[in-house]
Amino acid sequence: MRSVFYLLDAAPYGSEKAYGVLNAAAVSIKMDVTLGLYADGVYLALAGQDSRALGVPNLADIIYAYPEIRVLAHEPSMAERGLLRQGLIERVELADEEVFMEQIREAEGFMIL
Amino acid sequence: MKTLTIILTDGPYISEYAEIAYKIAIEALKISQVNIFLYLDAVNIPKLGQKPSLFGNAGLLFQDLAERGAVVRACVRCAAARGYLAVEDGVCPDYHQGIKITSLYDLAEMLKESDKVIALSR
Repeated sequence: MRSVFYLLDAAPYGSEKAYGVLNAAAVSIKMDVTLGLYADGVYLALAGQDSRALGVPNLADIIYAYPEIRVLAHEPSMAERGLLRQGLIERVELADEEVFMEQIREAEGFMIL
Repeated sequence: MKTLTIILTDGPYISEYAEIAYKIAIEALKISQVNIFLYLDAVNIPKLGQKPSLFGNAGLLFQDLAERGAVVRACVRCAAARGYLAVEDGVCPDYHQGIKITSLYDLAEMLKESDKVIALSR
């Protein structure tokens, strides 16, 4: 397998899910790796995250630390949550429905963890 | 198909994914190499001493897969977070035989060498 698309559809904090997906993506960078943020997963795209009060790692730092991971935020999910006017992490690309699904289709592996 | 990798993230009895993975792996082992990576709560699956009253023992299923030649590995970070520690060469005294604790980088290697990947996750 030469490319993998990880889909995150859960909010970044409050469970281990997003941290787990990010770590799996981080170790996969010898392949073409894309992280797709969908549904509540799009909250991970927001700039200015501060998780200190939660006592857990700031997951945005992992996105900054691994520029090899292409990060797509599903634009309709952002719109449904009223997030389109929010500032995003600079590396995050907004992807409309067509582009997002096209990237899933083109990847050799598709993973929801 | 030469190599199949199955990824699990659920604990043993919150869903039937462990049993489904077992059945898929049994069939796949007839024609290919099978890797299984236990991630997040799935690292609880191979715990020794489980006594489920309503279900089959999930740990025994994965010991059986390892005995049949499947490579079954558990994420070290997830395992340590839940109190499972490897003593030597990935062997964990709290786990059924044949299942080893390993780096998450092994997941990436499994993915790279796989012709097919199945992730069973909620």
